[in-house]
Amino acid sequence: MDAAAIPAPIVAAEHVSKWYGQVIGLNDVSVVVPPGVTGLLGPNGAGKSTFMKLITGQLKPSKGTITVLGEPIWRNPKIYFHVGFCPEQDAFYERMTGLEWVRALVRLNGLTDKEADEAAQRALAAVDLMEAAGKKIGAYSKGMRQRVKMAQALVHDPKLLILDEPLSGMDPIGRRKTIRLIREWGRAGKSIIVSSHILHEIESMTSNILLINNGRILAEGDVHHIRDLIDTHPHTVYVRAQDPRRIAREFLDNPEDDVRSMRFEPGAVVVETGKPDAFYARVTRMAASGEFGTIDEVTSPDDNLQAVFQYLVK
Amino acid sequence: MPIHDQSYRHYGGLKAVAGRSWLVIAGAGIWTFLRRRVFMGLMLFALAPFVVRAVQFWISANYPQVAVLGPSAETFRQFLEQQSFFVFVITVYVGAGLIANDRRANALQIYLSKPLMRSEYILGKLAVLFTFLIAITLVPSLLLLMLKVMFDGSFAFLTNNLFLIPAITIGALLQVLLASFTMLALSSLSKSARYVGILYVGITFFTNAIYGVLYLITGSSRVSWISIGANLEQVVDVIFRLKPRYATPWQVSLLVILALVAVSISVLERRVRGVEVVT
Amino acid sequence: MADPKSPGYVSSAMRVFDLSVSEMLWSRRTIFMALVVGAPVLISMFLRLLDALGAPVFRVNGMQMAGPAIFGLMIWVFYLRFTIPVLGVFYGTSLIADEVEDKTITYLFTRPIPKGAVLLGKYLAYMACTVFVVLPSVVIVYLCIVPMRGSLGGSFIDLVKDLFLLAIGLAVYGAVFAVIGARFKRPLLVGLIFIFGWEQMALAFPGYLKKFTVAYYLQALVPHAMPNDTVVSLIQGIFHENPSLPEALFWLSAILLSFLWFAAVSVERKEYVLEQ
Repeated sequence: MDAAAIPAPIVAAEHVSKWYGQVIGLNDVSVVVPPGVTGLLGPNGAGKSTFMKLITGQLKPSKGTITVLGEPIWRNPKIYFHVGFCPEQDAFYERMTGLEWVRALVRLNGLTDKEADEAAQRALAAVDLMEAAGKKIGAYSKGMRQRVKMAQALVHDPKLLILDEPLSGMDPIGRRKTIRLIREWGRAGKSIIVSSHILHEIESMTSNILLINNGRILAEGDVHHIRDLIDTHPHTVYVRAQDPRRIAREFLDNPEDDVRSMRFEPGAVVVETGKPDAFYARVTRMAASGEFGTIDEVTSPDDNLQAVFQYLVK
Repeated sequence: MPIHDQSYRHYGGLKAVAGRSWLVIAGAGIWTFLRRRVFMGLMLFALAPFVVRAVQFWISANYPQVAVLGPSAETFRQFLEQQSFFVFVITVYVGAGLIANDRRANALQIYLSKPLMRSEYILGKLAVLFTFLIAITLVPSLLLLMLKVMFDGSFAFLTNNLFLIPAITIGALLQVLLASFTMLALSSLSKSARYVGILYVGITFFTNAIYGVLYLITGSSRVSWISIGANLEQVVDVIFRLKPRYATPWQVSLLVILALVAVSISVLERRVRGVEVVT
Repeated sequence: MADPKSPGYVSSAMRVFDLSVSEMLWSRRTIFMALVVGAPVLISMFLRLLDALGAPVFRVNGMQMAGPAIFGLMIWVFYLRFTIPVLGVFYGTSLIADEVEDKTITYLFTRPIPKGAVLLGKYLAYMACTVFVVLPSVVIVYLCIVPMRGSLGGSFIDLVKDLFLLAIGLAVYGAVFAVIGARFKRPLLVGLIFIFGWEQMALAFPGYLKKFTVAYYLQALVPHAMPNDTVVSLIQGIFHENPSLPEALFWLSAILLSFLWFAAVSVERKEYVLEQ
């Protein structure tokens, strides 16, 4: 693939460290975030917030360089034309209405009053908040407050959206709507970096993740690809079949060095394998031959973010 | 048994007698400030007048030529008055966030959900400020008295001015308790320590400014009861058997001080609660 | 990537001003400010009432004080020595600190405007709030006090000078404390020590030390005699010297502009770590 075909990274961090006195927030992080939707994942205290603050220009790296959309972000206000940030904290000018607040903030982008008003209304409509636009933010519910925060982040139609725990405090319907919105924005060509510690939420938004813990990047890229690379943890494959014991006997009678352990569950056999590709190919042959009864389901319970997270973090 | 239980175990040791929780709050608060270098620098700076006075006492005791520098009862009164600037600064530094920071962090509800009475919480917080203020008023004053006796090599000064011990004690305590209660009450009113600090400054200097204007206009100091600082000065002057500097009767000044302390206690009683009614 | 046209520095500051002025005006600080400037108004109304009832309140050493003299005293004692510096400390040290404490600073610092423009906009909002509250209070006090054995027309020029000097005082102290707020961890204490410690001491000593205060230049603009109501002011009166009017205005402008610039630079370079 030549250089021209590789999309330019939206965020590039090179040997970035950040410390607060004696405490290291980020430790020699070098990472490139591609365009698209990327989930920033890690437990509490992992360094997610520090990384977020560095890529939004709120903090300066103690060491190393960070570029966003190809330019350094620290003390570079012009870049905020193309970057929208939705912070984690629940803080507003409570006396202002949602519309006034979003409008006042987008005016700082240089828009005229009329343009600002139109942009604010569009943004509030995008987050489904037009009905409450005339109410004071102080009277908003938690979900509405989250949505108005997102509105101010996208009001100026930025190329890059950085969302810090955007689903925090939302009810299930609100979460679903927001996840759907994020996926839509991603499909519309925006790059989005979403941080969370809720795995299934990240999973429902994107398969491209950045896993961070103890101030270091543990893994980056597609969650399935990462899973494949985790050799120390064999893959778990769940095979639901008409006669699971017969299938299990075949694995034992003809070992092909791809089955490490087995256990039975009602109507199924659960296999641990260190060679998942070879094992899947074998099961496919067995299913096609029909000699071992019908095989109804073959799934991998740990080919997911939860497993990746557990295996790498714990 | 071969395999030991690793799960949670209830504390089976000795427990302190009820009613001593305030010591824990006070201790934690005091230790927090003692760990700050800037604050320790401020405390040391606040004790500089003590050092100056001690040198003065030593010189006057050892060099008869400068016996004029020798202290009198009034010297101790002046020392307390000089320390009032540092009392003000340390009250703002230490006291502004004592309850305000707990309110900000929603820690009041956590505190009061423990077997801790509100009075113990208030007492603990009061003790933090009280300790530091006493350390720059009462303690150095009594130390100066002791040094005077030591440098003189006799108890003559002390026996001639025996009232100084209760005067210093009561004067310092009045100064410290007024500052402590007022500041603690203000701290309970807000979640912002900065705002509390400026409120305290405002009240102190605002009342002084009003008195200043009225004094200049009327030419009389009978209105000095308006100024909190002036009331304290008046009462402490009387405690030290000095001529009161204002025309206001000292009983009125004392009443104002006691009323302020009473109002502060009332504010604390209302504001320090484990629940907050949101309408 | 081609950038849209960003608003200029001053235009950005004005937009921040628009955002901040109503927040500042309707905040709890304004309650404090209203009390501070309301008290002299109430006192002046009360004194006027007493005078109208014939109470002998304005006799000092057997001599009756005239309204303009009383007004001059109030300007010195209340506004110049207390209200202006205290409001300067109160607002100036909190220009950015309030936003940091409320955690709303993120929204302002992630917009395509210089951080210094945010500070400037907040400073202008502070000026608007304080000037439009303090100056009317002075006018009301003037209208109540001066007619007592004085003439409104005769003292009008003094009123204009007082309003001008108080506005300058707010501006300069605000700029000085904006720097203190931007640089120090405990700006309130530092500010108080500056006003009630350093300035008072420097003005009481002969020599050049007083030139490192704001009060020295501000007092040169006051059209009224300085009162000697305290020991400190007595001592200051002994060593009182006034710079010329052009010199005072020059140095006040220089202090204002240089401190504002320094505050803006400090805010640009500082990292603000919000409380978790």
